Amino acid sequence: MSAAQPISPASPAVDTGTPAPSPLSLPIEAPAAAPDLRPVVLDVRNLVTYFYTYDGVVRALEGVSFKLRRGETLGLVGETGCGKSVTMFSVTRLIPDPPGRVVSGKVLFRGADLLWGLGHEARFIPVKGTNRVKVKRSFRRVKAAQARVGSVRGAGIAMIFQEPTQAMNPIFAIHDQLGEVLLEHRGEEVIDGLMASTPDLPAVRAAAEALERSVKVSDEAMRAAAKAVGEAAHLTSFGTQAFYMARQARTSGQGNLATEVSRAASRMRISGAQASFLRGERELRKIAREMRSVYISEMRRGEFERVNRGRLGARRLRLRLRRIPYRLPGIKRRVSRPLREETFWRAVQALEGVQIANPVQVARGFPHELSGGMLQRVMISMALACDPEILMADEPTTALDVTIQAQILELMNELRRRIGTAILLITHDLAVIAEVADRVAVMYAGQIVEMASVHDLFTRPLHPYTQGLLASIPRVDQPSKKLESIPGSVPNLIFPPSGCRYHPRCPHAMPVCKEQRPPMTVEGTGHNVACFLYNGAPVVE
Amino acid sequence: MAARYAQYKRTWYFLRRNTLAMVGLAIIILFAAAFVYGLTYPASSSTPVQYCASNGPVPVSPDNPCYDAPYIVCTYPSGTVSPGPGCYQTPPDNPNFIAPTFTLAHGLGAFPFGSLVYPSADLSTSDPLFYNTYTMLEKGTVNSVGLSVLIVATGAGVGLLLGALSGYFGGWIDEIVMRITDIFLSIPAILLVIAVIIVGKSSGLRSFDETLVLIGIAFVVVWWPFYARIVRSQSLVVREQRYVEAAKASGASNGRIIVKHVVPNSVYPVFVQMSLDVGTIPLLLAAITFIGFVLFPYPLIPEWGSVAAAGASILTAVFTECGVKGAVCAVPWWQVAFPGLAIFFFSLSVNFLADGLRDALDPRLRR
Amino acid sequence: MQMWVYVVRRAALVIPVVIGVMTVLFVLISALPTVERTCSFYHPSGRTSPCTTQIPCSTDPSKLCPNPVYQSAVNALGLNKPIFVQWAIYIGNALTFQWGYVAQGSALGTGETGSGLPSLAGQSVATVLSEFLPYTIELALLALLIILVVSIPLGNLSAVYRNRPIDQASRVMSFSGYALPAFLLGSLILAGVTFALGGPAAPSKICGGTSTVFLDFYGSWPTPPCTPLYGTANIGPVGYPAWLSIGYISTPTGFPTVDSAIHGQYWLALDTLLRLVLPALVIAYTTIAGLLRFVRNSMLEVMNQDFIRTARAKGLPEQTVIKKHAGRNSLNVTITVLGLTFAGFITGFPVVEIVFNLWGVGRIYAYSVVGGVNDWDFGVLFGTTLLFTYLVVAANIIVDIMYAYLDPRVRLG
Repeated sequence: MSAAQPISPASPAVDTGTPAPSPLSLPIEAPAAAPDLRPVVLDVRNLVTYFYTYDGVVRALEGVSFKLRRGETLGLVGETGCGKSVTMFSVTRLIPDPPGRVVSGKVLFRGADLLWGLGHEARFIPVKGTNRVKVKRSFRRVKAAQARVGSVRGAGIAMIFQEPTQAMNPIFAIHDQLGEVLLEHRGEEVIDGLMASTPDLPAVRAAAEALERSVKVSDEAMRAAAKAVGEAAHLTSFGTQAFYMARQARTSGQGNLATEVSRAASRMRISGAQASFLRGERELRKIAREMRSVYISEMRRGEFERVNRGRLGARRLRLRLRRIPYRLPGIKRRVSRPLREETFWRAVQALEGVQIANPVQVARGFPHELSGGMLQRVMISMALACDPEILMADEPTTALDVTIQAQILELMNELRRRIGTAILLITHDLAVIAEVADRVAVMYAGQIVEMASVHDLFTRPLHPYTQGLLASIPRVDQPSKKLESIPGSVPNLIFPPSGCRYHPRCPHAMPVCKEQRPPMTVEGTGHNVACFLYNGAPVVE
Repeated sequence: MAARYAQYKRTWYFLRRNTLAMVGLAIIILFAAAFVYGLTYPASSSTPVQYCASNGPVPVSPDNPCYDAPYIVCTYPSGTVSPGPGCYQTPPDNPNFIAPTFTLAHGLGAFPFGSLVYPSADLSTSDPLFYNTYTMLEKGTVNSVGLSVLIVATGAGVGLLLGALSGYFGGWIDEIVMRITDIFLSIPAILLVIAVIIVGKSSGLRSFDETLVLIGIAFVVVWWPFYARIVRSQSLVVREQRYVEAAKASGASNGRIIVKHVVPNSVYPVFVQMSLDVGTIPLLLAAITFIGFVLFPYPLIPEWGSVAAAGASILTAVFTECGVKGAVCAVPWWQVAFPGLAIFFFSLSVNFLADGLRDALDPRLRR
Repeated sequence: MQMWVYVVRRAALVIPVVIGVMTVLFVLISALPTVERTCSFYHPSGRTSPCTTQIPCSTDPSKLCPNPVYQSAVNALGLNKPIFVQWAIYIGNALTFQWGYVAQGSALGTGETGSGLPSLAGQSVATVLSEFLPYTIELALLALLIILVVSIPLGNLSAVYRNRPIDQASRVMSFSGYALPAFLLGSLILAGVTFALGGPAAPSKICGGTSTVFLDFYGSWPTPPCTPLYGTANIGPVGYPAWLSIGYISTPTGFPTVDSAIHGQYWLALDTLLRLVLPALVIAYTTIAGLLRFVRNSMLEVMNQDFIRTARAKGLPEQTVIKKHAGRNSLNVTITVLGLTFAGFITGFPVVEIVFNLWGVGRIYAYSVVGGVNDWDFGVLFGTTLLFTYLVVAANIIVDIMYAYLDPRVRLG
């Protein structure tokens, strides 16, 4: 969702609930048989992540590979503890470094390997006589690696998490936290837009009067008139502000809307000090952007760019020193006011985009004042505010009620259609997958066991685990005597089973399953499975 | 049972990896050995030993009265507790000089011990016993460490009881106990302790034993609120747990739940706090003596803080009057230094151990 | 809710605590023998006559009865009435700052305190304390400033760079400060300075000579000639007795530094301030020791929270994540713990004031308990205790208000 123009809120502000989807009762269309030619945005190869704990080495991910293509929704399914969330965090290195560690693997994004440099950062020393392994990390290198990967977070790869009530900082208002993301990644555009705004007062006055007249007409007219006001002021966020002022005027019945709007416009004038503050901010953001591109080129080329880093660092330091006077308490408030207001209204626009009914109130509020569903919408708007190429969602609806769940999923779908973001959706709920995903990867005990399109997976599950999962879904239309389940329990990842990790619970286990890990083989168009029951051609990386 | 043992083993593993905590543990074991030894160690003989920091002329400025004395000696007129600075004559040879088992003196060569002329409080005989510094340290270990441990244990016990009750039952019991802890936490510790002791002494409790009991009561009164607070917050958490609900559903009485569930779960932070506090008691006693409040009447007993502070209280005045070298002459610096060091190392090692324990027991540190 | 509503509610909560503290003190006071309770507390003559003298009874001249002075004191305190009335009278007196008089027999009363303090016998305790309080407050403010400036950044850094050199260094500082008795530290500093200077300096004068602050450590400067305004008193070599200002220099605010500046005596103001630096450092060191671990642990706890992960996932630079998101949140716990350490903070004052020869409330308190049974000054003792309690309570209220300002969740009530 671009912050430059507001998404036209054609849909009404009231959310109509959609009924909860029940598994397999909705028809899933079979996709076209042609192979997928969309470009790959994320290529994960052989991701291995271990956690080094007191009790031993938890082998959480053992060679996970998948590709994500532009615009597709890939679902990652599995039981609790199978490593789905760990996969997502490993891609962007959000694993808490002691005790976890991405041991090896490649994650290609925009031509850069996000995991470059893994081998140099840590050494592993097994402790004799125990299951423990001591990890010696190079603090400096790990920190540098975090900064590198940080350059793609937010605007390249965005993430939303499971518990929305815990995911936001409780002491900062919503608009503050939303604005942070906007400024960090789109700061230059925001400031350019702000500096280009000229409150052309007569034009604004005329548009404001039109707005006042439209208040009595209808919502759509109000919106159109507010948009016109924004155009008159050369600042679209001012249009948003005008719209909400109009709404306020309608509910409170005041008559001097035009004067208010004009007055607000006249306050928009940017003084000299404010302008120089803004120029400095813009320069800082520019340097940040250049640093991000340096990091990306480091990851692309596979070497450390000391010269460029140093140059940019020095520039930034000089700039910061020059700007120290702007940090004094009295001056800071006054000088940053235009930027803060602009950020506030852009945040309101972002909240409109996720269909929040009263965005001004929400933006001013704090996280503890909102419900889980609202917070998750806010998180989505934060994630999508900068048009990321990939959105990774870790069980986004698990903590929410079923009706809200449907709304959130519908929202994600719509936004994906509008912007074209690829989504990696992690969940344990097969119904959600059926509703939203294009392709599915099934994970068990840290490995992907089957990967197929949604239709293929549900109609022709190949791997015994997938079959077991699908069989265990209770079906309303076929009352049976008892609930099916998969015998046994999830393996201990410190001592995982040898060979295929599913073999202890598999009804079709063969001797070879205990000895070797089955390779991923192709069993139909776009349908891969890792099982010795099938012997198709191995998947080519 | 096995799970609890495994948890102890795990805690011990983390503690072992923490060098500071191990150093602290080693020193505490030394102190514990001194404690046991000190219980049986007799005070030295009945003749006061009078020595000073060095034998021979000490280079002080000519206007210092100690300048020309052949032996720099410091003795204290009998009947005083903190003597004024001055120089006196005394014969140098005395058979009751250094306790031969104290190897520190030997190792440091010409670093002899002075003596203290604080008669002991051995009221069973009419013959007062005197201490030299080594004996004082031995006996002082018993008194200081013993007092600290007793006070902390009692305070923790009272706090545990009240905190568990208040947190578990909630309601008006909780409100009352919380208000009471608020009250006691608002009064600064040292002031309340002194107030209680003063009131006790004015009402006639002047003898040695009674003074000790007064000190104990005063400290317990001051300390239990900390523990009560800790235990209360823990019991608030435990109260909401499912296993408590299950226990209630299966008919366990409230008392049983408190004893079996609430108390064991709050023991860890209480334990950490206890180990921290054990190191603080001698410091507070020292502060009380330093500001001039005479804790133990004449006869005095060896207790690190009181002895060190009694000497230190004239130290500052003497420094400014005589300068450092004059002070070495006129003030029993060893009386300040050695007990002060003992307090320092005791408190330090206890703190090391407590900090290591806290880190080892902390579930948030993601092991 | 609004901030001011929260402030009012918080202040109202304090009243039962204050009444409770007074009740505790009342219990202690009632345990004192009757003579102490009446004469020592509420009569200017204290334990000496005329309050304690007994005269032949009017009914039976062969026996001795308390004299009318004593009787009036008893009536004023309600000692012949039920205990509840006594309690009420005590509460009333305590709230209206009628805390008794400085006893004649005590160290303060006789003037035997060294360092030139005149006899304060017969003066109202509250008045005496109010004259010496500003000095302690100045010391406390300076120490508090040092504490905040050092402990918060150091604690945060120790958490972020866990187990690296800065964490080890802060651990050393924390342990040594905790284990070192305040008097030892102060004495060591004093000894060190004396040793460095090679001996004590000439006595410092407030006028008509040179003023040497802290044994010439900072330097010395000439003082203006003595006028009747200053009197001819000398300052001791280390401290500056606040009593000099009683009756000598008019004190509009009561704070020595401020008053000197108001009078245009800037050298005197600087003098006073410099004398506070070392004592403030000693107090700060011992308090930081306890606080540092808490700051570090709270920062560690905050950094494990979910919203830090979200902030990183948003692509914010690490410095912003630490300073803005983690730092502000850990400030909450820090402020709370700071409030809890106030009571311990107070413990350091008597010791430090004695070591550095300053004249504040802590010193007065020390002199009320010095000496033997007959030298104790109960009025000053219990008065100072109450005063310090007021200070702790006020500090806690301020801390709670700051907490509410920092954390909007608290304001919901």
